[in-house]
Amino acid sequence: MAILTVDSLSKHYGNLRALDAVSFSVPQGSVFGILGPNGSGKTTLLGILMNVLNSNSGTFTWDLGGPYTNATRKHIGTLLETPNFYPYLSAERNLTIAAKIKGKGEDDIYRVLKLVNLFQRKDSAFSTFSLGMKQRLAIASTLLGDPAVLVFDEPTNGLDPAGIAEIRELIIELSNNGKTIIMASHILDEVEKVCTHVAIIQKGVLKKTGSVKEILAGSTNATATIIVELSAPNLDELKAVMESFPGVTSIRQLRNELMLTCSVEINGTAINQHCFQHGITLEKLSVKKTSLEDKFLEITGTKSDN
Amino acid sequence: MWNLFKIEWLKVKSYKTFWVLFMGFILFYPIAFYFMANKYMETTSGTMEGKVLKSMLEAPFVFPKVWHSAGWLGGMFFILIGMLFILLITNEVQYRTHRQNIIDGWSRMDFLKAKFTLVIFFILISTILVSVTGLITGLLFSETKQNIYSQFYFVGYFALMALLYLMLAFLVAILIKRTGLSIIIYFAIVCILDNVLWLVFTLKGSQLGYFMPLEAVDSLLVNPFKPRMMEKRTVEDYTLILAAIAYISVYSIVIIRYFKKADLKT
Repeated sequence: MAILTVDSLSKHYGNLRALDAVSFSVPQGSVFGILGPNGSGKTTLLGILMNVLNSNSGTFTWDLGGPYTNATRKHIGTLLETPNFYPYLSAERNLTIAAKIKGKGEDDIYRVLKLVNLFQRKDSAFSTFSLGMKQRLAIASTLLGDPAVLVFDEPTNGLDPAGIAEIRELIIELSNNGKTIIMASHILDEVEKVCTHVAIIQKGVLKKTGSVKEILAGSTNATATIIVELSAPNLDELKAVMESFPGVTSIRQLRNELMLTCSVEINGTAINQHCFQHGITLEKLSVKKTSLEDKFLEITGTKSDN
Repeated sequence: MWNLFKIEWLKVKSYKTFWVLFMGFILFYPIAFYFMANKYMETTSGTMEGKVLKSMLEAPFVFPKVWHSAGWLGGMFFILIGMLFILLITNEVQYRTHRQNIIDGWSRMDFLKAKFTLVIFFILISTILVSVTGLITGLLFSETKQNIYSQFYFVGYFALMALLYLMLAFLVAILIKRTGLSIIIYFAIVCILDNVLWLVFTLKGSQLGYFMPLEAVDSLLVNPFKPRMMEKRTVEDYTLILAAIAYISVYSIVIIRYFKKADLKT
């Protein structure tokens, strides 16, 4: 069942097409990544889904049981673009306002503050917070009332490595608890680590959407490519030996190693055995599936949009 | 509406600028009115010139005229509240909390209604203050206690004036969004534009000047120290009240239509 269905959504600012007939659907319980370079239209898309921006054409439907109204957003925890709070109010007071607007109990405030490690600073004014703390408070606000759907726009923005890891853990934990999470990001690694589904968007155009597995597999007919990195004391000898190995489609010699592209499922044990039988002892053997990054660059091209 | 007001109150009750401007109005307006009355009574008692002045001005600090004077000075000080109200709206844009309030589940109308609860709050408090100030000053300076409430309707005019000024402030803040520019434009309309238009029409001998956006209510609460013989207005009060209501309606419609369709950016 789709929790969100987006149908031909378009938005222009004058001649600039920020979104061009974007359609996709978000399955319930998925972690749905909206992936795209900076300025690709991710925030515009989320802004429309949150009713703070108006689309020029197209529709979207949130299916949270019952027709979509303004009140539906009370059951979606959303962090859009930047943490937006009253700077002169404390963390707790800011969350009280959010809880009252959402119609959620204020008894949940301490729980969410503890979840993002801000409980000790609950009485400090928002303006005294670091960027990372502001981001964590925004995430705390989204968790108020334990909503079934969460929307995060660049959730790890401004966080230090430990903070990034914590938020990833939190997202995975929320997903394990059955929440649907929609997450916009330009960080591929982030999407690859936590998302089950992805929509790749570039210059307002949806390039590809589907499960991460499907995207990595390319089109449904093609087999996944496998990259194997190998090295041995004598690279020329190794190259000659590997050329006869079934499934190897190309071999590239890098500075200290060989990079093999293989068309079929290949396992490291078989390669190791093959080399050993031919009298070669491997120094390195690494079997890699195509990463989302390779796929993303393949889909969007290698030039930055900035 | 009450729930919306409670949320607005949470936003403003820890905001220092709110208290500075609001208390500025609450404290300085009655004090200024009292000192004005005191000085006037001192000046007009005794000397001959004073008595002549007194006869021309119809005793502005004595019942029933005191309601008019209290409303007029209240209007002068109320410009501060207009500025405060602009600040409370443009702050939301600056902090992007207007977006967040909507994201968290308010409709666009909820946001406007919440701000309107502040309009009601400001009008209620200031009207009570004007009434109490007028009553106490009147009791202190009137020789007879008759006819006390015969011109109490001027307090109603004050409330209408307050509503029109705040709706103008509301409109300017929603359309302009930037704090500084909104306040400049608001003061330009209140202090310059409206008066210049009034002057141009009045010099031409037209009554149209009294129907300018703010002049309609300003003319209901004209300066009480202006001798009656200088008054050029011939149009009735009720026509000005209707004009004020028409302006309030137009401002409300523009605010609602604009805000319901606007892209909420910073």
